[in-house]
Amino acid sequence: MLDTLTPKSATGAVVPSWTGVVRYLHITPRAFLPMREMPELTLVAGKGIEGDRYMIGREEGFYSHKPEEGRQVTLFEYETLIALKRDHNIDLGPEEHRRNVTVSGVPLTHLVGRQFWLGETLLESTRLSIPCRHIEEITGKAIFDPLINRSGLNCKILQGGTVRVGDAVRNMQ
Amino acid sequence: MSALPITKVRTIVDKIEDGGQGIKLFSLVDPDHWELPPFRPGAHIDLHLSGGLVRTYSLCNDPVDNKRYVVAVKREAEGRGGSIVLHDEVKVGDTIGVTLPRGGLDLSTDVTRFTFVGGGIGVTPFLSAAAWLKRMGRSKFTLHMIARGEPPLAELLAPLRKSGHLVIHDTSSGQRPDIAALVGRPLSDVALACCGPDGMIDDFEQASRDWPADRVHIERFVPPPLPVDPDAKPYVLALAKSQREIIVAAGQTMLSALIDIGVDVPASCCGGICGSCKVDWLEGQPVHRDRVLSPAERERSLLVCVAGSAKDRLVLDL
Repeated sequence: MLDTLTPKSATGAVVPSWTGVVRYLHITPRAFLPMREMPELTLVAGKGIEGDRYMIGREEGFYSHKPEEGRQVTLFEYETLIALKRDHNIDLGPEEHRRNVTVSGVPLTHLVGRQFWLGETLLESTRLSIPCRHIEEITGKAIFDPLINRSGLNCKILQGGTVRVGDAVRNMQ
Repeated sequence: MSALPITKVRTIVDKIEDGGQGIKLFSLVDPDHWELPPFRPGAHIDLHLSGGLVRTYSLCNDPVDNKRYVVAVKREAEGRGGSIVLHDEVKVGDTIGVTLPRGGLDLSTDVTRFTFVGGGIGVTPFLSAAAWLKRMGRSKFTLHMIARGEPPLAELLAPLRKSGHLVIHDTSSGQRPDIAALVGRPLSDVALACCGPDGMIDDFEQASRDWPADRVHIERFVPPPLPVDPDAKPYVLALAKSQREIIVAAGQTMLSALIDIGVDVPASCCGGICGSCKVDWLEGQPVHRDRVLSPAERERSLLVCVAGSAKDRLVLDL
Protein backbone atom coordinates (compact mmCIF):
# COMPACT_ATOMS: atom_id res chain seq x y z
CA MET A 1 0.00 0.00 0.00
CA LEU A 2 2.76 2.41 0.98
CA ASP A 3 4.64 1.60 -2.20
CA THR A 4 1.89 3.19 -4.24
CA LEU A 5 2.73 6.51 -2.61
CA THR A 6 6.37 6.47 -3.64
CA PRO A 7 7.72 6.59 -7.22
CA LYS A 8 9.66 3.55 -8.32
CA SER A 9 12.50 3.22 -10.78
CA ALA A 10 12.35 0.93 -13.79
CA THR A 11 13.92 -1.80 -11.67
CA GLY A 12 11.31 -1.47 -8.98
CA ALA A 13 13.56 0.10 -6.33
CA VAL A 14 12.13 2.99 -4.38
CA VAL A 15 13.44 6.33 -5.63
CA PRO A 16 13.73 9.18 -3.15
CA SER A 17 11.53 11.99 -4.34
CA TRP A 18 12.50 14.81 -2.06
CA THR A 19 15.22 17.41 -1.61
CA GLY A 20 15.08 19.72 1.36
CA VAL A 21 16.90 22.78 2.57
CA VAL A 22 18.43 23.96 5.83
CA ARG A 23 16.39 26.93 7.08
CA TYR A 24 17.85 27.65 10.52
CA LEU A 25 20.75 26.47 12.66
CA HIS A 26 20.85 26.74 16.45
CA ILE A 27 23.02 25.68 19.38
CA THR A 28 23.23 26.38 23.08
CA PRO A 29 26.07 25.54 25.47
CA ARG A 30 23.98 24.47 28.46
CA ALA A 31 20.58 23.20 29.53
CA PHE A 32 17.86 25.85 29.87
CA LEU A 33 19.80 28.57 28.03
CA PRO A 34 18.21 30.08 24.91
CA MET A 35 19.20 28.61 21.57
CA ARG A 36 21.33 31.00 19.52
CA GLU A 37 20.88 31.26 15.76
CA MET A 38 24.05 30.51 13.81
CA PRO A 39 24.92 30.97 10.12
CA GLU A 40 26.81 27.70 10.14
CA LEU A 41 27.59 24.76 12.41
CA THR A 42 30.59 22.47 12.60
CA LEU A 43 29.57 18.84 12.95
CA VAL A 44 32.14 16.39 14.28
CA ALA A 45 31.69 12.74 13.30
CA GLY A 46 30.68 10.55 16.21
CA LYS A 47 30.67 13.44 18.67
CA GLY A 48 28.26 16.27 18.02
CA ILE A 49 28.19 19.96 17.20
CA GLU A 50 30.97 22.28 18.28
CA GLY A 51 29.70 24.49 21.08
CA ASP A 52 26.49 22.58 21.66
CA ARG A 53 25.46 21.16 25.02
CA TYR A 54 25.27 17.55 23.78
CA MET A 55 28.74 17.43 22.20
CA ILE A 56 30.31 14.28 23.61
CA GLY A 57 32.83 15.41 26.19
CA ARG A 58 30.83 18.50 27.05
CA GLU A 59 27.62 16.94 28.40
CA GLU A 60 25.80 19.98 29.66
CA GLY A 61 22.39 19.20 28.20
CA PHE A 62 19.20 18.42 30.05
CA TYR A 63 19.51 14.76 28.99
CA SER A 64 23.28 14.45 29.24
CA HIS A 65 22.91 12.12 32.21
CA LYS A 66 21.46 9.62 29.75
CA PRO A 67 23.99 9.40 26.93
CA GLU A 68 22.64 8.63 23.48
CA GLU A 69 24.59 8.81 20.25
CA GLY A 70 21.50 9.99 18.39
CA ARG A 71 21.64 13.26 20.25
CA GLN A 72 24.73 14.36 18.34
CA VAL A 73 22.53 16.48 16.10
CA THR A 74 18.77 16.93 16.05
CA LEU A 75 16.50 18.11 13.24
CA PHE A 76 13.05 19.68 13.16
CA GLU A 77 10.57 20.30 10.33
CA TYR A 78 9.85 23.90 9.47
CA GLU A 79 6.44 22.66 8.33
CA THR A 80 5.63 21.76 11.94
CA LEU A 81 6.05 25.38 12.97
CA ILE A 82 3.53 26.33 10.29
CA ALA A 83 1.17 23.58 11.44
CA LEU A 84 1.34 24.71 15.06
CA LYS A 85 0.18 28.15 14.00
CA ARG A 86 -2.43 26.86 11.58
CA ASP A 87 -3.90 24.12 13.76
CA HIS A 88 -3.31 25.37 17.29
CA ASN A 89 -2.69 29.11 16.92
CA ILE A 90 0.68 28.69 18.62
CA ASP A 91 3.57 30.86 17.53
CA LEU A 92 6.70 28.81 17.96
CA GLY A 93 9.95 30.18 16.63
CA PRO A 94 12.76 28.05 15.23
CA GLU A 95 14.84 29.02 18.26
CA GLU A 96 12.21 27.60 20.62
CA HIS A 97 11.87 23.94 19.64
CA ARG A 98 15.44 23.32 20.85
CA ARG A 99 16.54 21.10 17.95
CA ASN A 100 19.71 22.13 16.13
CA VAL A 101 18.64 22.16 12.50
CA THR A 102 15.32 23.37 11.12
CA VAL A 103 14.73 21.99 7.64
CA SER A 104 11.97 22.34 5.12
CA GLY A 105 10.97 19.83 2.48
CA VAL A 106 12.40 16.90 4.43
CA PRO A 107 10.06 14.09 5.55
CA LEU A 108 11.78 13.45 8.86
CA THR A 109 9.39 10.73 9.94
CA HIS A 110 10.46 8.65 6.91
CA LEU A 111 14.10 8.78 7.82
CA VAL A 112 14.35 6.71 10.98
CA GLY A 113 17.17 4.23 10.54
CA ARG A 114 18.28 5.82 7.28
CA GLN A 115 21.29 7.79 6.17
CA PHE A 116 21.02 11.16 4.45
CA TRP A 117 23.11 14.19 3.56
CA LEU A 118 22.84 17.41 5.50
CA GLY A 119 24.95 19.72 3.37
CA GLU A 120 28.34 18.07 3.19
CA THR A 121 27.76 15.99 6.31
CA LEU A 122 26.35 12.48 6.41
CA LEU A 123 23.88 11.62 9.15
CA GLU A 124 22.09 8.49 10.27
CA SER A 125 18.86 8.81 12.15
CA THR A 126 18.43 6.72 15.27
CA ARG A 127 14.86 7.57 16.25
CA LEU A 128 12.14 10.16 16.21
CA SER A 129 12.50 12.76 18.91
CA ILE A 130 9.79 12.91 21.51
CA PRO A 131 8.54 16.08 23.14
CA CYS A 132 9.12 16.62 26.84
CA ARG A 133 7.63 18.83 29.50
CA HIS A 134 11.00 20.51 29.83
CA ILE A 135 10.29 22.49 26.65
CA GLU A 136 6.98 23.76 28.06
CA GLU A 137 8.82 24.90 31.17
CA ILE A 138 11.32 26.83 29.08
CA THR A 139 8.98 28.33 26.50
CA GLY A 140 5.92 28.76 28.69
CA LYS A 141 3.88 27.45 25.75
CA ALA A 142 1.52 24.46 25.77
CA ILE A 143 3.26 22.57 22.99
CA PHE A 144 3.72 19.11 24.45
CA ASP A 145 0.56 17.60 22.98
CA PRO A 146 0.77 19.25 19.55
CA LEU A 147 4.36 18.05 19.15
CA ILE A 148 3.64 14.38 19.74
CA ASN A 149 4.88 12.45 16.67
CA ARG A 150 6.38 15.54 15.07
CA SER A 151 9.01 16.66 17.49
CA GLY A 152 11.97 16.08 15.20
CA LEU A 153 14.65 13.51 14.51
CA ASN A 154 17.68 12.34 16.51
CA CYS A 155 20.77 11.58 14.46
CA LYS A 156 24.37 10.53 14.78
CA ILE A 157 27.03 12.07 12.60
CA LEU A 158 28.77 9.63 10.27
CA GLN A 159 30.75 12.20 8.31
CA GLY A 160 31.42 15.61 9.79
CA GLY A 161 31.83 19.00 8.17
CA THR A 162 30.30 22.44 8.01
CA VAL A 163 26.57 22.92 7.61
CA ARG A 164 25.29 26.29 6.46
CA VAL A 165 21.86 27.85 6.19
CA GLY A 166 20.65 27.20 2.65
CA ASP A 167 22.46 23.87 2.29
CA ALA A 168 20.58 21.07 0.59
CA VAL A 169 19.30 18.03 2.47
CA ARG A 170 19.34 14.92 0.29
CA ASN A 171 18.54 11.29 0.69
CA MET A 172 21.42 8.82 0.58
CA GLN A 173 21.47 7.37 -2.93
CA MET B 1 28.53 13.16 33.55
CA SER B 2 26.08 13.53 36.41
CA ALA B 3 23.73 10.74 37.45
CA LEU B 4 20.77 13.08 37.74
CA PRO B 5 19.32 15.57 35.27
CA ILE B 6 20.43 19.18 35.33
CA THR B 7 17.68 21.07 37.10
CA LYS B 8 19.13 24.54 37.51
CA VAL B 9 20.65 27.27 35.39
CA ARG B 10 24.35 27.53 36.21
CA THR B 11 25.41 31.12 36.80
CA ILE B 12 28.59 32.83 37.88
CA VAL B 13 28.67 35.85 40.19
CA ASP B 14 30.03 38.49 37.83
CA LYS B 15 29.76 41.55 40.03
CA ILE B 16 28.77 42.51 43.57
CA GLU B 17 27.90 46.17 44.17
CA ASP B 18 26.92 48.10 47.24
CA GLY B 19 23.30 49.21 47.01
CA GLY B 20 23.40 51.17 50.25
CA GLN B 21 21.38 50.60 53.44
CA GLY B 22 22.76 47.09 53.92
CA ILE B 23 21.89 45.98 50.40
CA LYS B 24 24.17 44.27 47.92
CA LEU B 25 23.48 43.91 44.22
CA PHE B 26 24.52 40.59 42.71
CA SER B 27 24.94 40.32 38.98
CA LEU B 28 24.74 36.69 37.78
CA VAL B 29 25.85 35.63 34.31
CA ASP B 30 26.34 32.49 32.28
CA PRO B 31 29.94 31.17 32.42
CA ASP B 32 30.30 31.99 28.70
CA HIS B 33 28.17 35.15 28.89
CA TRP B 34 25.52 33.39 26.82
CA GLU B 35 21.98 34.78 26.90
CA LEU B 36 20.07 33.65 30.00
CA PRO B 37 16.49 32.31 29.94
CA PRO B 38 14.13 35.24 29.36
CA PHE B 39 11.98 36.77 32.07
CA ARG B 40 8.95 39.01 32.42
CA PRO B 41 9.27 42.41 34.09
CA GLY B 42 9.18 41.89 37.84
CA ALA B 43 9.85 38.13 37.67
CA HIS B 44 11.79 36.29 40.34
CA ILE B 45 14.25 33.41 40.58
CA ASP B 46 15.33 30.99 43.27
CA LEU B 47 19.00 31.02 44.24
CA HIS B 48 20.34 27.67 45.46
CA LEU B 49 22.95 28.51 48.08
CA SER B 50 25.35 26.53 50.19
CA GLY B 51 23.88 24.44 52.96
CA GLY B 52 20.83 23.61 50.86
CA LEU B 53 19.34 27.08 51.28
CA VAL B 54 16.96 28.16 48.53
CA ARG B 55 15.95 31.82 48.46
CA THR B 56 13.72 33.76 46.10
CA TYR B 57 14.65 37.22 44.82
CA SER B 58 13.06 39.57 42.30
CA LEU B 59 15.05 40.46 39.21
CA CYS B 60 15.87 44.17 39.12
CA ASN B 61 17.06 44.58 35.57
CA ASP B 62 15.23 45.23 32.32
CA PRO B 63 14.26 41.95 30.58
CA VAL B 64 16.02 43.22 27.44
CA ASP B 65 19.25 43.04 29.43
CA ASN B 66 19.25 39.31 28.74
CA LYS B 67 22.78 38.27 29.66
CA ARG B 68 22.53 38.80 33.38
CA TYR B 69 20.21 38.44 36.32
CA VAL B 70 20.51 41.25 38.86
CA VAL B 71 19.14 40.68 42.36
CA ALA B 72 19.24 43.07 45.31
CA VAL B 73 19.70 41.40 48.68
CA LYS B 74 19.33 43.13 52.03
CA ARG B 75 21.33 41.59 54.84
CA GLU B 76 18.84 40.43 57.43
CA ALA B 77 20.77 39.54 60.58
CA GLU B 78 17.62 38.05 62.09
CA GLY B 79 16.47 36.42 58.87
CA ARG B 80 16.51 32.77 57.84
CA GLY B 81 20.15 32.84 56.74
CA GLY B 82 20.04 33.23 52.97
CA SER B 83 20.95 36.90 52.93
CA ILE B 84 23.79 36.29 55.37
CA VAL B 85 25.27 33.62 53.14
CA LEU B 86 25.03 35.95 50.16
CA HIS B 87 26.52 38.93 51.98
CA ASP B 88 29.21 37.18 53.98
CA GLU B 89 30.24 34.17 51.90
CA VAL B 90 29.48 34.66 48.23
CA LYS B 91 32.30 36.17 46.17
CA VAL B 92 32.77 37.27 42.58
CA GLY B 93 33.48 34.16 40.50
CA ASP B 94 31.38 31.82 42.65
CA THR B 95 28.89 29.51 40.98
CA ILE B 96 25.21 29.75 41.92
CA GLY B 97 22.48 27.53 40.51
CA VAL B 98 19.22 29.35 39.86
CA THR B 99 15.77 28.28 38.71
CA LEU B 100 14.07 29.47 35.57
CA PRO B 101 12.47 32.89 36.14
CA ARG B 102 8.80 32.76 37.01
CA GLY B 103 5.99 35.17 37.77
CA GLY B 104 6.22 38.82 36.97
CA LEU B 105 3.87 41.68 36.32
CA ASP B 106 1.14 41.71 33.71
CA LEU B 107 1.91 44.88 31.78
CA SER B 108 -0.59 44.19 29.03
CA THR B 109 -1.43 46.98 26.67
CA ASP B 110 -5.08 47.33 27.74
CA VAL B 111 -3.74 49.05 30.85
CA THR B 112 -2.34 52.50 30.20
CA ARG B 113 -1.35 53.62 33.70
CA PHE B 114 0.34 51.81 36.54
CA THR B 115 0.68 52.57 40.23
CA PHE B 116 3.48 50.68 41.92
CA VAL B 117 3.97 50.68 45.69
CA GLY B 118 7.25 49.31 47.04
CA GLY B 119 8.30 49.09 50.65
CA GLY B 120 12.10 49.31 51.08
CA ILE B 121 13.78 46.44 49.27
CA GLY B 122 10.29 45.61 47.93
CA VAL B 123 10.91 48.17 45.22
CA THR B 124 13.02 45.68 43.24
CA PRO B 125 10.38 44.10 40.96
CA PHE B 126 9.25 47.59 39.96
CA LEU B 127 12.74 48.60 38.91
CA SER B 128 12.57 45.90 36.26
CA ALA B 129 9.02 46.87 35.28
CA ALA B 130 9.81 50.60 35.17
CA ALA B 131 12.83 50.06 32.92
CA TRP B 132 10.72 47.93 30.59
CA LEU B 133 7.82 50.40 30.47
CA LYS B 134 10.10 53.35 29.77
CA ARG B 135 11.86 51.51 27.00
CA MET B 136 8.50 50.61 25.46
CA GLY B 137 7.51 54.27 25.50
CA ARG B 138 4.79 53.65 28.07
CA SER B 139 5.63 56.40 30.51
CA LYS B 140 2.38 56.63 32.47
CA PHE B 141 3.36 55.03 35.73
CA THR B 142 4.24 56.12 39.24
CA LEU B 143 6.47 54.27 41.63
CA HIS B 144 5.79 55.04 45.27
CA MET B 145 8.72 54.00 47.38
CA ILE B 146 8.19 53.80 51.11
CA ALA B 147 11.48 53.84 53.01
CA ARG B 148 12.93 54.94 56.29
CA GLY B 149 15.41 57.77 55.65
CA GLU B 150 17.53 57.90 52.54
CA PRO B 151 16.28 55.18 50.19
CA PRO B 152 18.66 52.43 49.06
CA LEU B 153 19.52 51.53 45.48
CA ALA B 154 20.19 55.19 44.64
CA GLU B 155 21.91 54.40 41.38
CA LEU B 156 19.03 52.31 40.07
CA LEU B 157 16.46 54.83 41.25
CA ALA B 158 18.23 57.86 39.79
CA PRO B 159 16.74 57.63 36.27
CA LEU B 160 13.24 57.35 37.73
CA ARG B 161 13.83 60.32 40.00
CA LYS B 162 15.04 62.35 37.07
CA SER B 163 12.06 61.45 34.89
CA GLY B 164 9.57 62.22 37.67
CA HIS B 165 8.27 58.65 37.98
CA LEU B 166 9.48 58.16 41.54
CA VAL B 167 7.75 59.43 44.67
CA ILE B 168 9.65 58.75 47.89
CA HIS B 169 7.75 58.51 51.17
CA ASP B 170 10.17 58.85 54.07
CA THR B 171 8.84 57.15 57.19
CA SER B 172 11.74 58.14 59.48
CA SER B 173 9.51 60.73 61.12
CA GLY B 174 7.07 57.96 62.03
CA GLN B 175 4.51 59.07 59.49
CA ARG B 176 3.45 56.31 57.09
CA PRO B 177 1.78 57.34 53.86
CA ASP B 178 -1.92 56.72 53.45
CA ILE B 179 -1.89 53.67 51.16
CA ALA B 180 -5.55 54.18 50.31
CA ALA B 181 -4.74 57.65 48.99
CA LEU B 182 -1.97 56.24 46.81
CA VAL B 183 -4.25 53.55 45.44
CA GLY B 184 -7.29 55.75 44.85
CA ARG B 185 -10.58 54.62 43.37
CA PRO B 186 -10.81 51.91 40.70
CA LEU B 187 -10.20 53.18 37.19
CA SER B 188 -10.64 51.07 34.10
CA ASP B 189 -7.26 51.81 32.55
CA VAL B 190 -5.12 51.60 35.70
CA ALA B 191 -3.40 48.63 37.32
CA LEU B 192 -1.86 48.41 40.79
CA ALA B 193 1.02 46.44 42.21
CA CYS B 194 2.59 46.26 45.64
CA CYS B 195 5.61 44.55 47.16
CA GLY B 196 6.76 44.99 50.70
CA PRO B 197 6.50 43.82 54.30
CA ASP B 198 3.35 42.09 55.51
CA GLY B 199 1.86 45.12 57.30
CA MET B 200 2.11 47.24 54.19
CA ILE B 201 0.66 44.45 52.05
CA ASP B 202 -2.28 44.18 54.43
CA ASP B 203 -2.98 47.91 54.10
CA PHE B 204 -2.67 47.66 50.35
CA GLU B 205 -5.05 44.70 50.16
CA GLN B 206 -7.58 46.64 52.18
CA ALA B 207 -7.16 49.75 50.04
CA SER B 208 -7.55 47.84 46.78
CA ARG B 209 -10.44 45.58 47.81
CA ASP B 210 -12.83 47.28 45.37
CA TRP B 211 -10.48 46.93 42.43
CA PRO B 212 -10.92 44.11 39.89
CA ALA B 213 -8.66 41.21 40.91
CA ASP B 214 -6.93 41.13 37.53
CA ARG B 215 -5.78 44.71 38.01
CA VAL B 216 -4.10 44.13 41.35
CA HIS B 217 -0.78 42.36 41.78
CA ILE B 218 0.68 41.62 45.20
CA GLU B 219 4.13 40.28 45.85
CA ARG B 220 5.18 39.20 49.31
CA PHE B 221 8.74 38.88 50.51
CA VAL B 222 8.09 35.23 51.27
CA PRO B 223 6.18 33.90 48.28
CA PRO B 224 3.18 31.66 48.90
CA PRO B 225 3.46 28.04 47.79
CA LEU B 226 2.93 27.41 44.10
CA PRO B 227 -0.72 26.81 43.21
CA VAL B 228 -1.72 23.17 43.31
CA ASP B 229 -4.66 21.14 42.15
CA PRO B 230 -7.34 21.95 44.75
CA ASP B 231 -8.29 18.27 44.84
CA ALA B 232 -4.73 17.02 45.24
CA LYS B 233 -3.81 15.44 48.55
CA PRO B 234 -0.50 14.36 50.02
CA TYR B 235 0.15 10.66 50.30
CA VAL B 236 2.74 8.21 51.57
CA LEU B 237 4.94 6.61 48.95
CA ALA B 238 6.53 3.42 50.23
CA LEU B 239 9.51 1.88 48.45
CA ALA B 240 9.38 -1.86 49.08
CA LYS B 241 12.89 -2.88 48.04
CA SER B 242 14.73 -0.06 49.76
CA GLN B 243 12.43 -0.06 52.77
CA ARG B 244 11.83 3.71 52.66
CA GLU B 245 8.74 5.83 53.00
CA ILE B 246 8.34 9.40 51.83
CA ILE B 247 5.55 11.93 51.67
CA VAL B 248 4.52 13.15 48.25
CA ALA B 249 3.14 16.64 48.80
CA ALA B 250 -0.16 17.76 47.29
CA GLY B 251 0.55 18.75 43.71
CA GLN B 252 4.06 17.29 43.73
CA THR B 253 4.91 14.61 41.21
CA MET B 254 6.00 11.19 42.37
CA LEU B 255 9.09 11.66 40.20
CA SER B 256 10.03 14.89 41.95
CA ALA B 257 9.62 13.27 45.35
CA LEU B 258 11.84 10.37 44.30
CA ILE B 259 14.52 12.68 42.90
CA ASP B 260 14.47 14.64 46.15
CA ILE B 261 15.64 11.58 48.05
CA GLY B 262 18.20 10.65 45.42
CA VAL B 263 16.35 7.83 43.68
CA ASP B 264 17.55 7.76 40.09
CA VAL B 265 14.46 7.06 37.99
CA PRO B 266 15.16 7.17 34.24
CA ALA B 267 12.60 9.84 33.39
CA SER B 268 12.58 11.57 30.04
CA CYS B 269 9.46 13.26 28.67
CA CYS B 270 7.96 13.97 32.11
CA GLY B 271 4.56 14.03 30.46
CA GLY B 272 3.42 10.42 30.49
CA ILE B 273 4.15 9.41 26.92
CA CYS B 274 7.67 8.05 26.61
CA GLY B 275 7.32 5.38 29.28
CA SER B 276 10.93 5.61 30.41
CA CYS B 277 9.97 6.13 34.06
CA LYS B 278 7.74 3.07 34.27
CA VAL B 279 7.83 1.48 37.70
CA ASP B 280 5.89 -1.47 39.09
CA TRP B 281 3.50 -0.83 41.96
CA LEU B 282 2.55 -3.37 44.59
CA GLU B 283 -0.17 -1.93 46.83
CA GLY B 284 -2.57 0.98 46.79
CA GLN B 285 -4.60 2.57 43.99
CA PRO B 286 -2.65 4.60 41.44
CA VAL B 287 -4.17 7.46 39.46
CA HIS B 288 -2.43 6.85 36.16
CA ARG B 289 -2.79 9.90 33.86
CA ASP B 290 -0.28 8.51 31.34
CA ARG B 291 -1.11 7.91 27.71
CA VAL B 292 0.90 4.84 26.91
CA LEU B 293 0.18 2.04 29.34
CA SER B 294 -2.46 -0.51 28.37
CA PRO B 295 -5.12 -1.48 30.92
CA ALA B 296 -3.18 -4.70 31.51
CA GLU B 297 0.07 -2.83 32.07
CA ARG B 298 -1.63 -0.47 34.48
CA GLU B 299 -2.52 -3.44 36.63
CA ARG B 300 1.13 -3.70 37.59
CA SER B 301 2.93 -0.54 36.46
CA LEU B 302 2.68 3.24 36.48
CA LEU B 303 4.66 6.20 35.18
CA VAL B 304 6.04 8.18 38.08
CA CYS B 305 6.19 11.44 36.10
CA VAL B 306 2.39 11.77 35.97
CA ALA B 307 0.82 9.15 38.23
CA GLY B 308 -0.71 9.98 41.59
CA SER B 309 -2.42 8.04 44.31
CA ALA B 310 -6.13 7.76 45.02
CA LYS B 311 -5.43 6.49 48.53
CA ASP B 312 -3.26 7.60 51.43
CA ARG B 313 -0.53 5.08 50.68
CA LEU B 314 1.04 3.65 47.56
CA VAL B 315 3.76 1.02 47.46
CA LEU B 316 6.26 0.86 44.61
CA ASP B 317 8.61 -1.95 43.69
CA LEU B 318 11.67 0.21 44.17
